[in-house]
Amino acid sequence: MHKTLAAGLAALLALTACSVNEAAAPSSPAPAGAKEVTFLLFESPNLNAAYWDAQIKRATDAVPGITVKKVVAPAAGSRDEFAKQLIASGQFPDVHIGLQDILGFAPNLYAWTPEDLKDFECATCGATGGKVVQLPTNTQTHSNVYYNKGLFEKAGITAPPKTYAELLDAAAKLKAKGITPFVTGGGPDAFASTLAWTGVLTTDVYGKNPDWMRQRREGKVTFSDPDFKAATQKFADLAAKGYIDKKDLSRDYGATQTAFLEGKGAMYPMGSWFASPGAGDNPENKIEIGRFNWPGEADSAKLAAFTGGGLTVSAAAKDLESAKKFALAFQLDKANLDASVKADALFPAIKGYTPPSMGPVFTESYKAWSDAKTAGAIVPSFGWEAGDDAMLPGMKEKWWSSAQDLVSGKKNVDDVLSYLDDEWDKSS
Amino acid sequence: MRVVYRRAWYFLSFGAPGLLIYVCFVLVPILLSVGYSMTNYSLLRPGWTWVGLRNYELLLTDQAFLTSLRVTTILTVMVLVAPNLLGLAIAVLLDRRGWFYNAMRSVYFTPMVLSSVVVSVIWTRVLDDEGPLNQALRFLGVADPPGWLSDPDYALFSLGGIVSWQMLGFCVVVYLAGLQGVPNELAEAASIDGAGPWTRFRRITWPLLAPALTVNTVVLLITTFKIFDHVKVITNGGPGTGTTATVAFTIMQEGFVENHQGYASAMAVVMLVIIAVASVVALRVLQRREVQL
Repeated sequence: MHKTLAAGLAALLALTACSVNEAAAPSSPAPAGAKEVTFLLFESPNLNAAYWDAQIKRATDAVPGITVKKVVAPAAGSRDEFAKQLIASGQFPDVHIGLQDILGFAPNLYAWTPEDLKDFECATCGATGGKVVQLPTNTQTHSNVYYNKGLFEKAGITAPPKTYAELLDAAAKLKAKGITPFVTGGGPDAFASTLAWTGVLTTDVYGKNPDWMRQRREGKVTFSDPDFKAATQKFADLAAKGYIDKKDLSRDYGATQTAFLEGKGAMYPMGSWFASPGAGDNPENKIEIGRFNWPGEADSAKLAAFTGGGLTVSAAAKDLESAKKFALAFQLDKANLDASVKADALFPAIKGYTPPSMGPVFTESYKAWSDAKTAGAIVPSFGWEAGDDAMLPGMKEKWWSSAQDLVSGKKNVDDVLSYLDDEWDKSS
Repeated sequence: MRVVYRRAWYFLSFGAPGLLIYVCFVLVPILLSVGYSMTNYSLLRPGWTWVGLRNYELLLTDQAFLTSLRVTTILTVMVLVAPNLLGLAIAVLLDRRGWFYNAMRSVYFTPMVLSSVVVSVIWTRVLDDEGPLNQALRFLGVADPPGWLSDPDYALFSLGGIVSWQMLGFCVVVYLAGLQGVPNELAEAASIDGAGPWTRFRRITWPLLAPALTVNTVVLLITTFKIFDHVKVITNGGPGTGTTATVAFTIMQEGFVENHQGYASAMAVVMLVIIAVASVVALRVLQRREVQL
């Protein structure tokens, strides 16, 4: 009865607001006696159908007796919403990849045991209420600044900035030469407006207090506190000085990446997935790309990273054991991990794993992560965390829109931070 | 008596499938949604509590919802006015015989048959800062053309323009149908009496187009008030907070991003009531001026 009611609600919301495309990709006929596992995934130019089919085949080869039926989200960016609609209609698949609102989904997900997680480098990453519900398979770093070496040279910048003062100096020199210092994006991919803000928060807030988000949940700190305000002011000032062009806010993620690769701006604050062979390491790129960590006042040692993003298994899976076996086989297969590195520049956080030979941008990005790990300089990635370390459900989207308010000048820093505090209180 | 029952059964057998679909997929979900709107239901959490009218009380002071109402109202007014006016003008120009006019009718109707996602993607590219529109403006000497979708002052109007462009073809076709129903004899008689083109339009054509105006207005009103796809694809509610977030977009955010399905249901019920009331009022007002021939 409850599911019927939920299905009715989902139907109404869909009728009044939008239509959802369910794309259940056919799989090969199941051999007699084989157990079927449904798998929610998403496709993108890098992670296309052929990529997923090959990944699934390697995993099912490793776990005989299981067949997989793919359920493809209608859009990569709306996979969470799609999964929630499937829960509402009682069709939540058995296994899923890349769910983001882990805090929200947690009650519906299987909690992995320490034995399940013995091969993962960070067995507690992304925990929700002390339970790990998403395999902590991959690391991504977020306070990277990729830069166009040719444009730096043109502006007379001889070395990548190591302090915030040097970053501002570089931006000023670029602007003086008529070059847009930072390439940013937005439009339907509002997250693309936030990477520079993540960078400042990495060095100026999380760099000093890595527990900031936990303390925000406990009400010990607020967005309006001096440290957070000063960091946010730095981000707003970049826009006010014209170093971030507010006209870029309408550009979607794909167009933003293209703009950087076509030399329409000198610095591109972006996640490490940019270092994939389809983007930063694309042999057809006409620009030479370097990278540096977003710099703090005194140095650029800190690096924001997040480990998680792997497979999740529905606690209500028809055959939980098969779903678990498939998920672990999928994530731990060396060829699958190599493929994820090559397609999406992921850094597999699996014990004993070393990535295959890759291009210079990936190699530099991976080295920066390894160096920061060795130096103990990894901090959480603001806006990219999951589980107990994440913002409350819905806050991330408000943070994205707030970044755009700051860049466009629609709101000042005080208004934005007070808005975030108010919305946090409403969500909690 | 048996004949009456037989006739009732006969009509029911035709009407039942449609009625069943309507009840299952429209009436029941609406009633369920009204029920959910009085709970704190979240589909990701087990259990729910009855909160009565609390969700509706919260809506009265929810800035995000009130902003979305304002945004939707502005958008609706724009889309009610622009395609109606332009559609009428274009229909009058196309109300002629010949292959060229037939071809132009198809051209104007084409956006209507395109998916709103396709339309949104096309216009996102056209209105991009580096897109063809701004390139043309720069060519014409405008040094700093507007950020059509990136500037909060322009984004909503750009969105209104895009939706108007897509709905224009519908208005043209409806007005053309109306124009072709205007008897030539009336216009000829008026000409003989000395009426000029403007007088003939104002005194004869325009009053007889009242049914077409009613159809266009009600369809545009309903379509725009529940608009979601364009917002999701083009601006995602931005740039910034709530700049282009319509009521339907806000419902989806509240329901499937923030996981507050009970509260989102309250928004959906309010939206349903507003659309119903506005449609009935528009119908009543416009039908009063329809001319029966």
